[in-house]
Amino acid sequence: MDTEQIISMQNICKSYKMGQEELKVLKNVDFSVNKGEFTAILGPSGSGKSTLMNIIGCMDTFDSGSYSLNGIPIQQSKERELTKIRNHEIGFIFQNYHLIPTYTVMQNIIMPLLMRGENRKSAEKQCYEVVEMLGLSERLHHKPSELSGGQRQRVAIARALCSKPSLLLADEPTGALDQNSGTEVLRLFTKLHEMGNTIVMITHDLNVAKWAQRTVHIVDGEVFENIVN
Amino acid sequence: MRFSEILHLVKLNLIQNKFKVLLTSIGVVVGAATIVIVIAIGRGGKADVADQFRNLNAGALDISYEQAQGTKGFSFGTSGSPTGAGMPSFSGGNFTPPSGGDMPSFSGSSRSSKDESGRSSGGFFSGFSGMFSGLFGGGKDSKNTENITLSTEDMDDLTAFVPGLSDSTISYTTKQNIYGGNIEETESYTVAGTLSNYAELSNLSMLFGDYLSDADIENKTKVCVLGYNAAKQIFGSAEDAYDSLVYIDDRPYTVGGILAEQGTVESGISADEAIFIPYATGIKYLTGSDISPTITVIAADVNNIDTVIENVKTVLASSYPNAEFTISDAGSKMEAANKSNRTLTLMLIAMASIVFIIGGIGIMNVLFVSVKERTQEIGILKAIGGSRKDILLEFMMEACCISLIGGLIGVATSFVISPVLSSLSIRMEMSAAGALLALGFSLVTGTVFGFYPAWKASKLVPVEALSSE
Repeated sequence: MDTEQIISMQNICKSYKMGQEELKVLKNVDFSVNKGEFTAILGPSGSGKSTLMNIIGCMDTFDSGSYSLNGIPIQQSKERELTKIRNHEIGFIFQNYHLIPTYTVMQNIIMPLLMRGENRKSAEKQCYEVVEMLGLSERLHHKPSELSGGQRQRVAIARALCSKPSLLLADEPTGALDQNSGTEVLRLFTKLHEMGNTIVMITHDLNVAKWAQRTVHIVDGEVFENIVN
Repeated sequence: MRFSEILHLVKLNLIQNKFKVLLTSIGVVVGAATIVIVIAIGRGGKADVADQFRNLNAGALDISYEQAQGTKGFSFGTSGSPTGAGMPSFSGGNFTPPSGGDMPSFSGSSRSSKDESGRSSGGFFSGFSGMFSGLFGGGKDSKNTENITLSTEDMDDLTAFVPGLSDSTISYTTKQNIYGGNIEETESYTVAGTLSNYAELSNLSMLFGDYLSDADIENKTKVCVLGYNAAKQIFGSAEDAYDSLVYIDDRPYTVGGILAEQGTVESGISADEAIFIPYATGIKYLTGSDISPTITVIAADVNNIDTVIENVKTVLASSYPNAEFTISDAGSKMEAANKSNRTLTLMLIAMASIVFIIGGIGIMNVLFVSVKERTQEIGILKAIGGSRKDILLEFMMEACCISLIGGLIGVATSFVISPVLSSLSIRMEMSAAGALLALGFSLVTGTVFGFYPAWKASKLVPVEALSSE
């Protein structure tokens, strides 16, 4: 196995039961991402890209095939290990931010570190480093509802970065933002990529995918194209 | 995740949902308040029992004789009414109304051929009445057909022949017309003829003066000791009563002492309302020997009470072979009263537990709704690395905190309510133990009823939880 590979998937299949019928969502997907790559998974609605992202993010299981994340064989991992992998290896950035509305920006950002068992002081220290880079220093004690969409997404990015994961996994990160805010977030992704972060971004928008170093097309559960932008 | 951080998250969530927490905890508030109040009432009841029996020595045995009822209609020598169980009778011309259950129980109004203290020496009347008793089947016991009056000689016999007695006394009560002090017309009061050791054996304490002395008994002195309320009613105050004169059956008695206030008693003479005179004085001037006294003996060892009772029966049987005496054990009375009080308390605690269960179900329902409302939040926490244990603990701690808050409010409420209940003549003794028990119950309720919703939350699949609306 290539030691530079963060994601290595072979023959991943996933299907859902829809009443009596079985719906094949992913069909023998082979997909890999090298360390430091900025990859976009591009596909229309219902193509299976979100399922692929959930499997990459260890939030969903797959029926067959093999998947290793940063050298860890996921198919053999139990729930407790998957929880640990999600916390240590992956930084999630969701389309709808998925911030906890009752927590402040600071509390949202340090949550993965607290989940890891770190103490609050150390977690806050790491948080300050990230928020400064993302220009959120003035907003630390605000609630998500007091922020703009772009700011919320930056908080989500800060939360993902704070735990220093092997992989940043972004699901339609600009989907809920206006064009300016979206561009701002994509510039930030480019900057993070330049800083050495590995990023996998799911999108249905070709213009967004163009920001990535590499685009993978997914249609009807099949990954069939591999383009370097 | 560190436990302190879980608690911090719980705090944040509870603060965010103050009103919901308050509403959720209402069941527990009621349950906790009920527990504290129930325990306070139970303790109050226990204290009441202790107070009511405080003039009883735990080792005391009251011995009285109750003549079979069917034989009483043929009694001679009394102008009083025929008396039933628990009512004092006497001769001397004054009507005796029933005096309630707080007096020694005795009967036997007819005067038989006895010596001064009533020891039977003949038996004509008793035999006569016994015949009728047999004919009419009256009375609780065919044995008790004789007119028997317990006497100081019987008391001396018991003291001499029953081993393991530390002391003994004899007393009787009668109703007498009293005037003096502020009383303009005669009023009926309970007059108790006692020996000098009665006060000590009945745990009576003096406010002014001294209790009756041996010399008073021996010389049949016209001296009396007033109960606290009697002194106030007759003279206006205890101070005014002391060393004054009170007229009992038109004869002047010097008030030699006033008893300190004793409170309500369940057994024995109600000392606050009574007038105490020397045993022999009462017999000489008020009742003659037509009395039914109660002998009280004190067992030196309360654990030996059954043996003492048997010995008392044996000694009395040698003097009165055909009589059956009522022997009342103070310890048993106290135990019975305490037992009924405990039963009542347990019943109330059971009711409070039901309130807790209902409160717990309320918490469970609200937590289920909360889990439903916060499914996405649970999904987020799981996506960023929250373990099942973290989620379970967070929801469990939320349930426990809601319960604990409810418990604290309930305990506080009970302390607010208790003066109101006390003002309604319900005796309550609030205790830290009651409060702690209520808080414990609250915590258990939260833990038990919070577990299932928390467990359900912890089992949510991250991707499904995240995609929930």
